[in-house]
Amino acid sequence: MAEDLVLDTAIRDWVLIPLSVVMVLIGVLRYFVSKLMRSSQLPDAKALKEGQVIIRARNLKSGANFIPSKSFRARRVYFTNEENGLLHVPKEQAQNAQAQMFSDPNMAMDMMKKNLSMLIPQSLTFAWVNFFFSGFVAAKIPFPLTQRFRAMLQNGIDLSSVDVSYVSSRSWYFLNLFGLRGFFSLILGEENAMDDTQRMMQMGGFGFDASRSLAAEKDSLDIIQHDWALPKIEHRAEQVLRKLLR
Amino acid sequence: MVGAAEEAQLNRLENQVDNGGGGAWEYLCLVRKLKARRPDKVLKHGLSILNNPKARSNLGTEEWTLYEQVAIAAMDCQRVDIAKDCISVLSNKFPGSTRVGRLEGMLLEANGAWADAETTYRRLLEENPNDQVVQKRMIAMAKALGNISTAVEYLNKYLEIYMADQDAWRELAEIYVSLQMYKQAAYCYEELILCQPTVPLHHLAYAEVLYTMGGLENLQMAKKYYASAINFTGGKNTRALYGLCLCSVAINQITKGRNKEDKESPELQYLAAEALVKDYKEKAPAKLTLVTSTLKSMKLIS
Repeated sequence: MAEDLVLDTAIRDWVLIPLSVVMVLIGVLRYFVSKLMRSSQLPDAKALKEGQVIIRARNLKSGANFIPSKSFRARRVYFTNEENGLLHVPKEQAQNAQAQMFSDPNMAMDMMKKNLSMLIPQSLTFAWVNFFFSGFVAAKIPFPLTQRFRAMLQNGIDLSSVDVSYVSSRSWYFLNLFGLRGFFSLILGEENAMDDTQRMMQMGGFGFDASRSLAAEKDSLDIIQHDWALPKIEHRAEQVLRKLLR
Repeated sequence: MVGAAEEAQLNRLENQVDNGGGGAWEYLCLVRKLKARRPDKVLKHGLSILNNPKARSNLGTEEWTLYEQVAIAAMDCQRVDIAKDCISVLSNKFPGSTRVGRLEGMLLEANGAWADAETTYRRLLEENPNDQVVQKRMIAMAKALGNISTAVEYLNKYLEIYMADQDAWRELAEIYVSLQMYKQAAYCYEELILCQPTVPLHHLAYAEVLYTMGGLENLQMAKKYYASAINFTGGKNTRALYGLCLCSVAINQITKGRNKEDKESPELQYLAAEALVKDYKEKAPAKLTLVTSTLKSMKLIS
């Protein structure tokens, strides 16, 4: 490049460094605020029991051949009978599960809190950056890049003649927003710095529906064929002893 | 359950620490991870870290975990004074914490203040009715006080929710056996077999319960489970061998005179007897005559 842009050192002192420092401080602040707002909700007995029932039913399924068939049948009835079997889920309840989850005020409250601690500071800082620092060319990265990076690095300046290795202030904000996670995990300890993408994933995954897996376990228990493994065991034991005595 | 490899590692580390080779903290971490119970060592090495301000501050936040570990170990060793100090440090640091509350309850238990301990636990259960540890403490306390029926009641309540907890099933099975409630015990052992189908000890215990219940059907089943215990241990379990011999004798007594159509492996008991004799020959020759005469009276060896 013939006419290299020279960046004023004042830009470094008054845009680049303040922006980075503010991003770090906001990250730390957000961590503490979300820690304050976090409510440790206790798992309720029903959910706990459902999880345990599923484990036990799986055990029964895999170990079925090791117990006498009378015991197996008794257990199967206990698990799958239509009146009060452990795995039996009444129809209307199964349909309501999803609705219940949304009407549960605790759940909604939790989501709100998460959203708030994520959304408010972000929109505020974005507005702040836009207001004070829009249109700055804040930094230059020391290697050339292709045109495709223009959208990433030069958000906010619509000049196609500027070389792509210059970074605009708004892009610097975005780079900081997504790139400081490693830094946070250093200063706040592991696991503490949850970045936004992870939060999104968590929110998506909460709709776990226990009644569906209960029903699945019930079906697979219903079709299982009980074949007691032990009648053959005496022969096996005989062989083992013969081998031992030889 | 501690695996063999992990146990070897634990012993190696213990040896190293005992001989002043350092690595006390790693040892304590491993003990905690494996849930091994070596209170004397934990107390000794844990205290040496806690009494050394520099080593203690090196741990950072792990320091409090160590206090908890040492407190429990101290209670195991009847050093209630040390436990009390540790717990008071913890309760100053974390006032109102459930975890410290449990420790305080355990300290009261260690002092024999059962009623106070129970009030503490009940308070914790009010905060969180599904607290596994506190429920287990209540059960253990009822058992320690000799209120077996209360212990059974609590255990059943606990298993109502945590029905995949093997240790609880085993505890319940043992209590039922001690109460001579064999049917219930058998159910618990079946549950254990389902959890761990290849652990011979469960098969053995189940067989013993069945044998004790008696009756032809149960005896035959017991014999099969003894056989499977033999199968899983490779014939090394003396108790299973004896059990098999006794079972076959009992079955013979019942079916005496009847036609023996359901004989699957008629030689099994003779083989078991032979294996017993061989075992005694190798390991306890002094008792060999006793065993042979017993087995002879059972007509299992000639």
